[in-house]
Amino acid sequence: MRDAYIVTSVRTPGCKRIKGAFSETRPEDLISFILDAAVKKTPALEKKEVEDIMVGCAFPEAEQGMNIGRVAALMAGFPVEVTGATINRFCSSGLEAIVQASLRVMAGWSEVTIGAGVESMTYVPLGGHMPRPHPEWTREHADLYTSMGITAENVARRYDVSRADQDAFAAQSQMRAAKARKEGLFAELVPTPAVRYVLQDSGTYQKETVLQKVDDGIRDNTTVEGLAKLNPAFAAGGTVTAGNSSQTTDGAAATVIMSREKVDALGLTPVARLKCYTTVGCQPDEMGVGPKYAIPKVLKMAGVDIADVGLFEINEAFASQALHCIRALGLENDMDKININGGAIALGHPLGCTGAKLAATLLANMKRKGVRYGVESMCIGGGMGAAALFELC
Amino acid sequence: MKRMIKTAGVIGSGIMGGGIAALLASAGIRTLLLDIVPPGLPAGPDTDKKARNQIVQAGLDAVLNARPALLMQKKDAARIQIGNLEDDFERLADCDWIVEVVVENLGVKQGLLERLEAVRKPGAIVSSNTSGIPLAKMSAGRSDDFRKHFLGTHFFNPVRYMKLLEIIPGEETLPEIISFMAAFGEKRLGKGIVMAKDTPNFVGNRIGVQGIVRAMQLMVADGLTIPEVDTLFGPAMGRPKTGFFKTADLVGLDTLVHVAENTFELVPDDERRDSFKVPEFINAMVQKKLLGKKTKSGFYKKDLTPEWKTIRKVINPQTLEYEEYQWPSFPCLEAAKKAKTLPEKIKAIVYADDKGGQYAWKALAENLIYAANRIPEIADTIVEIDNAMKWGFNFTLGPFETWDAIGVARSVAKMEADGLVVPAPVKKMLAAGHATFYKNENGQTLYYDFAAGAYQPVAVSAAAVSLHSLKASGKVVKSCPSASLVDLGDDVFCVEFHTKMNAINGEIIDFMADGIDYIEKNGIGLVIGNQAGGMPGAFSAGGDLKFMGELARSKKWAEMESFLEKAQQGLQRARYASLPVVAAPYGLTLGGGCEICLGAADMIVAHAELYMGLVEIGVGLLPAGGGCLNLWKKMTQHIPAPVKLADLAPFFLPTFMNIAMARVSTSAADAGANGFLGPVDRIIFNRDYLIGEAKKEVLKMVDDGYVPPVKKPIRVMGTVAQGMVNAELHNMKEAGFVSAHDMLLARRIAFVISGGDVRANARIDEDVILKLEREAFIDFWKEEKTVARVEHMLKTGKPLRN
Repeated sequence: MRDAYIVTSVRTPGCKRIKGAFSETRPEDLISFILDAAVKKTPALEKKEVEDIMVGCAFPEAEQGMNIGRVAALMAGFPVEVTGATINRFCSSGLEAIVQASLRVMAGWSEVTIGAGVESMTYVPLGGHMPRPHPEWTREHADLYTSMGITAENVARRYDVSRADQDAFAAQSQMRAAKARKEGLFAELVPTPAVRYVLQDSGTYQKETVLQKVDDGIRDNTTVEGLAKLNPAFAAGGTVTAGNSSQTTDGAAATVIMSREKVDALGLTPVARLKCYTTVGCQPDEMGVGPKYAIPKVLKMAGVDIADVGLFEINEAFASQALHCIRALGLENDMDKININGGAIALGHPLGCTGAKLAATLLANMKRKGVRYGVESMCIGGGMGAAALFELC
Repeated sequence: MKRMIKTAGVIGSGIMGGGIAALLASAGIRTLLLDIVPPGLPAGPDTDKKARNQIVQAGLDAVLNARPALLMQKKDAARIQIGNLEDDFERLADCDWIVEVVVENLGVKQGLLERLEAVRKPGAIVSSNTSGIPLAKMSAGRSDDFRKHFLGTHFFNPVRYMKLLEIIPGEETLPEIISFMAAFGEKRLGKGIVMAKDTPNFVGNRIGVQGIVRAMQLMVADGLTIPEVDTLFGPAMGRPKTGFFKTADLVGLDTLVHVAENTFELVPDDERRDSFKVPEFINAMVQKKLLGKKTKSGFYKKDLTPEWKTIRKVINPQTLEYEEYQWPSFPCLEAAKKAKTLPEKIKAIVYADDKGGQYAWKALAENLIYAANRIPEIADTIVEIDNAMKWGFNFTLGPFETWDAIGVARSVAKMEADGLVVPAPVKKMLAAGHATFYKNENGQTLYYDFAAGAYQPVAVSAAAVSLHSLKASGKVVKSCPSASLVDLGDDVFCVEFHTKMNAINGEIIDFMADGIDYIEKNGIGLVIGNQAGGMPGAFSAGGDLKFMGELARSKKWAEMESFLEKAQQGLQRARYASLPVVAAPYGLTLGGGCEICLGAADMIVAHAELYMGLVEIGVGLLPAGGGCLNLWKKMTQHIPAPVKLADLAPFFLPTFMNIAMARVSTSAADAGANGFLGPVDRIIFNRDYLIGEAKKEVLKMVDDGYVPPVKKPIRVMGTVAQGMVNAELHNMKEAGFVSAHDMLLARRIAFVISGGDVRANARIDEDVILKLEREAFIDFWKEEKTVARVEHMLKTGKPLRN
């Protein structure tokens, strides 16, 4: 198979659900904006040259339903010939979309594709509007549907991740994100129009648009002491709190993928190649452990030593599971390589967008720091892990 | 134009002002709550509004956080606007009634009234909630028109829960203003009105505080302990179980001492003026800030052992040290325990020879004599004094009712033997051959009027139907030990329960069926209601758990099944009968009591203080008298016909949660918020009006051409609901919020409400859910942990979590 090259990878800010800047911005607007921006940031690329657009989305219903991949393509101004699909593997959906788009190119079936992700957790909450677990299966196997908070508690309890360690991890995530925002290190971030319905002097409401430039969930005044005061969010006597969990967030991200021939024809400099990708299953009621299996598996497949990986983006669904995976992988002393600009505890976890968003962040950091190998990984509801290995060009 | 109170102003946001504002807001009246600007802030309205409203905001916050709640539901607070007395005073011009609840200081009150005179709109009523300052002094210097619209309105704390409202006319108050405020207080605010005269501390506090302080003096003199006094003057005497001293802890010792001292100052000619001098040790306690509940130490105090076990302690009046105590007993209390009726109990105590009995006699006798001597000084009739003590102090019997209970002639003889001076009107009554202060004649209660020296009818509001009076005048058409059918007139009949806590039993179920048979032949409609006393009282506190337990112990499952079926079909029969049925619940309306309201009635007319819920899961059971079916129907019956719903979950979840979490409403408004009351149901603030209002609704339905409901298949959520609930219960179990047994019960309850094994949105016959209720109920009884829950409840009165 031939290689697939990533030429552009961008994201919108991540903004808190309901209270954040995108709470009145429809998910189609977020994804179509970032698709358009990705093309515009790719010199010489015309929209008609894109063959297919894969959009990851964890709860593709209501505003995010009706195949948002196709809807977004047309809203973003791609000609009708350009197709679109929705990809769902919960929290790895955005990464899965990049992988599937890349595979099309690698197979030689396409020259230009886009892998993307979107989630408005404001419009469609975690679990969707109508969760309907199977009545008979749940009589014996309700653990399949274990809530994410409980899985985080299970990981903390079963693998001994203390409250203090979770809080310290969370505080570090916030500090890193605050510093990165201050220093302007989020090169992958594209200021994005945010809609607001504003009461006018006339007494009626009107739609107004402002440009949202930053991730609005970062709390630069977070302290370990402050976090220690929070009550458990999910379980009596538990250790997982709102402060050491990821934020629920709205956002979108997109990555443009090309064949070598197309890169050369357009005269572009590619950023990186997708070297390898894998997924692996685990017990549904401790889904957070997924990365500790997926990362070694993908590195083994690629024949790359973990010590040669210069940067990691390991999704912080919860401090408990992220920290446990880091420890299990023997990376506890390598925190300077992991989530260097903060993770989902500070920046948010817009479910189906996260895979595409972390790719944009990872690739920007690899480029900035000249790191050869970068790994992106996350845990997945229902009990899975996914991991991808990128190599800088 | 008919006078109305659309907007009210409350000045002063302390515990009483806040309480009054909360009650008005709960009753649907827009209320402006004002208080002073914190002293020391720079003058002028330009400074920070938040700082200037700091005191009133704190008052409103205290209302919102009060436990027990002062508002019927939190959202009622939206009817309260706040402001301060400098920037917002002009806004009082909108108010139809302004009540001042500011500090008890004559100068302050006079100054405030002077300012009010300048802003009040013509005709607006102004009242004072003072408890001790003469109204005449307060309104001195005001215009004629002001004084014509000025009166005293004295509420009791906590305002929402205490029924008493003393109305004190000023010398010049217009009669129509007095009668308007009395009617408004009674109907809109649900209060019991006592007409008091402008004398120090009016009726309730004058008699009440004499009783308390004198009892305290006698305790010191006779060498009794505080727990001994509280046990004697507790439920055995028809008094609240907090007795004198625990009540004083709740009121606050400083408040008690203030009222006592204030009375002492203002009643120089009172024959028992010395009764208002508190014993020295209490003054010492006030100095040491041992003020009761608000300082966490009063006469009583709770300490914790190092193991976090509560130790209850009481103060030793000699040493002012707190000591552990046991609830004491006296032979007279043992005798009272054995006595069946309250009069027998009181007699067993006050006529006993032991130390406790002798003490109780003295304290009571002096208070009875004191009360009789206050007529006509503080009120015109004995009825006002009795009502004040019942409504303001939660006595079961007022002083004169108590006097009747212990026998007037016998007690007067004993008083005289003790050298007490018996008031002349009482002796005159006995001399004329009248043995009691009250008597019943033809369903009417008469009282002995001191002024006339003859009996007069006790005035009752035309809207208040008294089952007691109707029964006394031969309006019972059918009766059994557990229930009666009472003719309310106009061909409307009332089924009245009269079991303990009005619990539902087999006899009531049979009786209701007979009752409906009777009304179908002889009447036009049914009210289900009763008027058992108590605060908050019980419309019906549930089903007969003991009876079910016996069936379960002897494994009489078929009998249990047929009993349940009879109960269910009885309610279905009422529901689909050709006549309107209105239920009139109040207070505790739990389990079976709740099922009757939900199942049988076309409409619920509820008292504002309604504690309604299906609490069966607390004893490991589920509602199986149609409760699951009928709460589901209640929740879904008002979906407009053209609305086609694919998703019943928003209706299923609250139904399920109400039953699985044994949710009990904290008021009728809250029952509405939970879905137990629906849009056709009504809330009534005065409990005495409940049966009358329910009857009115029956008559209205008949007049409108009553159309009985048609039984048709109902839509249920089916198996998808069970998947949802199973998954969520797994999470709650993992999170440590529910036990394995809770989970078993809750899963099955979801199964029942959702119609069992049927597809989503299926239409099924109502009888399917009724059958599922019965099966689940019997299966639950076969669970050891359910049996343990029931046994624990029967033994301790408290739920067991297992």
